Amino acid sequence: MTYDDDDGVLVTGTGFALSGVDRAADLWTCPSARFKEPFEPADRLGGRRLRYKDRATRLGLAAVHQVLRDARLQADGGGLTVPGESTGVVVSSNLGNVDAVCAAAETIASDTAAAVSPMELPNTASNVIASWIAIRFGLRGASLTLCNGPTSGLDALFWAWALVRAGRVERAVVVGVEPTGTAARLLAAAHDRRPDDGARLLDGAVALVAESARAARRRGIPATAALSGFARRADLHEAVARARGPDGPPVGVWLVPEGGSVPTPEGLHGVHTRDLSTDVGHCSGALGVLQCAAATAYLSRGGPGCVLATAGGHDDDDAAAAVVLTAPAPSDDFVPGPSALEGR
Amino acid sequence: MSVSPPAAPGSVAITGMGVVCCLGDTVSGTFAALCSGRSGVAPLRAFRPELYRARHAYEIDDRPGRRDETLRATRWLVRAVRAAIADDGLLDDLGSVPVLVGTTLRELRSVELWWRDGHPFAPRDLHFGTALRDEFAATDTHTVCNACAASLYTLGLGADLITLGAAPAVVVAGVDAITESSYGLLDRANDRPPSALRPFERTRSGMLMGEGAAAAVLRRADAAPPNRVRAVVRAVALACDAQHPTAPDPKGIAAAIREGHRRASVAAEDVDLVMLHGSGTPLGDEAEAMGLTDVLGPSVRGPYMTAVKSMTGHTAGSSGLLSLIVAVESLRHGRVPPVVGLAEPIEAAREFRLVRGTAAAARLRLAQVNAFGFGGLNAVALVEMPAASEVA
Repeated sequence: MTYDDDDGVLVTGTGFALSGVDRAADLWTCPSARFKEPFEPADRLGGRRLRYKDRATRLGLAAVHQVLRDARLQADGGGLTVPGESTGVVVSSNLGNVDAVCAAAETIASDTAAAVSPMELPNTASNVIASWIAIRFGLRGASLTLCNGPTSGLDALFWAWALVRAGRVERAVVVGVEPTGTAARLLAAAHDRRPDDGARLLDGAVALVAESARAARRRGIPATAALSGFARRADLHEAVARARGPDGPPVGVWLVPEGGSVPTPEGLHGVHTRDLSTDVGHCSGALGVLQCAAATAYLSRGGPGCVLATAGGHDDDDAAAAVVLTAPAPSDDFVPGPSALEGR
Repeated sequence: MSVSPPAAPGSVAITGMGVVCCLGDTVSGTFAALCSGRSGVAPLRAFRPELYRARHAYEIDDRPGRRDETLRATRWLVRAVRAAIADDGLLDDLGSVPVLVGTTLRELRSVELWWRDGHPFAPRDLHFGTALRDEFAATDTHTVCNACAASLYTLGLGADLITLGAAPAVVVAGVDAITESSYGLLDRANDRPPSALRPFERTRSGMLMGEGAAAAVLRRADAAPPNRVRAVVRAVALACDAQHPTAPDPKGIAAAIREGHRRASVAAEDVDLVMLHGSGTPLGDEAEAMGLTDVLGPSVRGPYMTAVKSMTGHTAGSSGLLSLIVAVESLRHGRVPPVVGLAEPIEAAREFRLVRGTAAAARLRLAQVNAFGFGGLNAVALVEMPAASEVA
């Protein structure tokens, strides 16, 4: 499937709520120590409207705040430059509301349900992050929350592609976010109640805009990558083969799954690899979105070949997913370039 | 991704269905119970009742000795999917067939038991792909957390995959088990503790949660064996109010209904049956009645209307698909279950043809199914009987 026509789905913006990362290129150059500093969403959003919102929601809002400006979807006055109905939201998070749920269950057991604040009610449902993003920014298109395990971030990219291709929205804001509450950390690090083993988790969010080529051209917004192939299959080999197709472009860089080594799929021996989790920590549901953001920086700087983003594929994972990102095909009136990244 | 030419919109067939809820674990048994007006409400089966003002729920009775267990939602999902596959009859294992699971709470009940009571639980079981791989060798699985619109959302997404030509068959599903955090916070939010969920009843006092799973197999209508076609999905509208984290918005509801009718190319007066969302909350029923009246206008007196949550409770992520399956059975059998516990309807629904007392017998062709969730998530499906030539 090619994406050099109106049917293509392109990445037209990136945003981050992650220390040390102001733009996608920083994912390749920032010293890993800076990623470890906590990110404070209130510094970007102001604290007043963050009450009763959990950590994941605050991080997600901060990343979306940035991506809407990067993709020129938000005017200086704060309003959208496009109809709210034309823009959907796809969030990926595995641990997002785990702490809110555990805290409420604990309070109820010790002090009865009268002791919990009704303001916590939205936090019990796992779509809470996407809800607040839609409300704060007026995004009224289809909204999805993927809580789909290790591949969740790449799956979110797939669903953004599908919503655009099905004509439900012109673009979707895709968000990968994970917080590090106590319960989330314990759940991710251990399969029982042993103390935290020290595994470092991402505490941050990344956002991008996946937009139809037609809408991007109409708005005159440059694109940094095209979403060119997807698959979720039993193992990494199958997923990669399916996503690349029989005559896909050569892979310039392979973004490997987090969580330890996996067998190298056919055709990828000797290819340059990168494990983003060694720098930013275990990303869980945010990984795939972060990988795609990193891919935009690679492609917009003219890196050779395509970027292959992969997740899952270990024995303990239910599946593996692969997404192929390519440089958007140039055309006469539509010149993709790094300006969306350089302009900030 | 593309494996076959796109199908025309409105040409997605439902070829298999499965249900597990407090009223039974078969489609026919559940539909019969609903038509007889049997409610599944009962005193809390495993939670400590003294912690809440409400003392009832529509739980699945599978915990002898009241001792709570992990992974109940996962078990029901597997049963509902297995039943839908058997009903379809053409799939041995699922392999790369997409399986989309809509849920509000995924396995968060298990997380509560892990965190507070030390039950064993692994993060790989927080989403449903692990069990679907183990049971059905399914690898293209997606856990979609879209609150109480979740499984009707997955119906729309699954239909999109078929119309895009991305898959010839898709399994869509929904499931939820009650968590203590959501039961407790709803208890806190309700004005008075309800002892039953009474949609559109003037004296209703709020929502009571239920448990369940529902699943359906979707296929291209032109490629489905005619004798397997239970109904045809004409369209599913998917939208978001972007107004409030919990309160519904009548304008958003009206917009979603209008969008559903537009996508399905049907007029308001074509609708024979409306499966109301009917959550039994003061705000929710009011908003739904206003939204419906806005779109249907004078036609609002026409279609039969019912709300199965009066018997199943609010089964959250599974409720939209559960309503859809009941709609399909109503179309096929010409019977519409009543709204139980409805003595005097709210003013905003005064003109609605709500089925009361006993099941209504009627010839029906086109049904509208509403599902509205937290976060202003709205989904509206239009489903119809296949043309006579398509039925064996």
